Amino acid sequence: MSAHKEVLYGLYDDEEIMLDAIRVANKQHLDIMDVFTPFPVHGLDPLLGLEESRLHIAGFVYGAIGTLTAFGVMTWIFTRDWPVIFGGKPYWSVPAFIPITFELTVLFASIGMVVSFYTVCGLAPGVVNPVLDDRITDDKFCIAFQTNGLSSSEIDKYSSFLKSTGASEVSSKVI
Amino acid sequence: MNNQFTFEGKQRTTLIGFIILGAICLGLSFLDNTVPYHMRFWSNFLHNTVFFTGISFISLFVLAAFTTAYGGWYVVMKRVWEAYSQFLIVGLLLMLVIIAGVWGHFHHLYHWAADGITDPNSPAYDPILAGKAGFLNKYWYTFGTIGFIGMWYFVFAVPMRRISVAEDTEGTTDFEHHERYRKFSAFFLPIAAFSSAAMIWQWVMSIDSHWYSTMFAWYSTASWFVSALALTIMTIIWLKSKGYYEQVTDEHIHDLGKLLFAFSVFWTYLWFSQFMLIWYANIGEETIYFKERVTNYPVLWYGNLVMNFVLPFLILMRNSTKRKYGTLILCCLLTFFGHWWDFFMMIKPGAKINADHAYHAAHSAGGDHGHAAHGVQGFVSGFTLPGFLEIGIFLGFLALFLYVVLGQLAKASLVPKNDPYLGESLHHHV
Repeated sequence: MSAHKEVLYGLYDDEEIMLDAIRVANKQHLDIMDVFTPFPVHGLDPLLGLEESRLHIAGFVYGAIGTLTAFGVMTWIFTRDWPVIFGGKPYWSVPAFIPITFELTVLFASIGMVVSFYTVCGLAPGVVNPVLDDRITDDKFCIAFQTNGLSSSEIDKYSSFLKSTGASEVSSKVI
Repeated sequence: MNNQFTFEGKQRTTLIGFIILGAICLGLSFLDNTVPYHMRFWSNFLHNTVFFTGISFISLFVLAAFTTAYGGWYVVMKRVWEAYSQFLIVGLLLMLVIIAGVWGHFHHLYHWAADGITDPNSPAYDPILAGKAGFLNKYWYTFGTIGFIGMWYFVFAVPMRRISVAEDTEGTTDFEHHERYRKFSAFFLPIAAFSSAAMIWQWVMSIDSHWYSTMFAWYSTASWFVSALALTIMTIIWLKSKGYYEQVTDEHIHDLGKLLFAFSVFWTYLWFSQFMLIWYANIGEETIYFKERVTNYPVLWYGNLVMNFVLPFLILMRNSTKRKYGTLILCCLLTFFGHWWDFFMMIKPGAKINADHAYHAAHSAGGDHGHAAHGVQGFVSGFTLPGFLEIGIFLGFLALFLYVVLGQLAKASLVPKNDPYLGESLHHHV
């Protein structure tokens, strides 16, 4: 990870005001570092130009691995390793394998996606993530700019943008 | 925005053309007596009547369920389901033909309807069916069919439609109309659950009258549900292509697509649960149902699973395929035809056995009627697989259904006007 980030951020009282501010920022080609909201805001992703998450593709792959694992292992056990006849059924009894295959597919997909998500987001037990302001998890909507190495006139441009678009507070912080 | 659908003369002519085609095919299937007692005609008639009546019933159920659950997103297109539910009366009229056949012995769809089935001294006596005669009898069949479809239509579908249309002109900010609509919905849900199960047992499950499954009602209702959703999506996209329903956005279509995906999986869950429990327990009188289908109707059996589970599951899994009309319509066509095919598989093998059995019983003087009848073997068009006549009849019934539905759609504004949830629906965002 890079060293400290110098961040200039503005807090908005309402998501609509914040969405309008982002539209203005896009028009002025300001480079927003990130946006923090207490709940998912509809229409935010396309405004920020965020790509669709690839997490579900990973989920499909994990699920498929689960399917193959369950089916492969059961096939190997019941036809090669330790064939046992249950209730007069053939060794390779596909319908009996389906529930376990389903369960392992779900298990692999869910655990795989949780681990991937936590890894990508840098979350783990014991990790401390810097928070710009505690209230962005409650009732404030935050637009943040990274200001490392910027001249004071450029920082002023960002700060006046935040004020003019209705931010109720503007501050800076090193995280 | 154009909210008033007009049922154009050209559309009427096309649909009437298809209805006539269906009627001709139905008539031709009466002449095909490969399987005795005109069974091809009767089984086709029952199959399509049950399929489209079920779609109509499920539409009413969907409205009731969404209203009771305080759903708002669907309100903009609820007129489509209201129009669907008005087909119930046609379904009732069509079922009257089957009922007349039960009383007059015009058909041998139901083994339990045969004379002397409960009389120990009769050569036709069947102890299993005598034991079920409290439910599987002509009176129950007649009373249930007329009473329940009649109730769905006259007590729920018609008043709910009337309230909804009256709300357009008389709606107030007290939302009295919506409150009344909500009461009808809440009453309908438990009634629908029990009455639809009882009727599906009578109409379809009792064809294989010795056999029963407690999952059957769920499974076939899920089948109706998916077909109703598929037809809804296709109708709405068609209406959009005609310039109506600009208010219905990709967001609404996306949610309908999700429901189609979810209920396809739900249907598969029930289909497989019904199969696996019976396969595992391996009791002869239960497995006979599946043994018959897997052995003699493998294309129906596996095709069913491919069309209704494998393909829609893989195609609709991605986000984007539920928002693109091309892939969505492909899945709708697949599942709509697929669930028609599913009902085909529920009805045809049993109907063929019943006809063969009745023929055998009538033509063997010795009285070895207890043995499995050996009727026509091998490939039989209209039973082993749907033939051209079946496709024609299917299109004919579909055209009749759409004729009723489009006629109803033209009678009121496509988008309801004073529904309390309209605003939520217009701003729906996934």
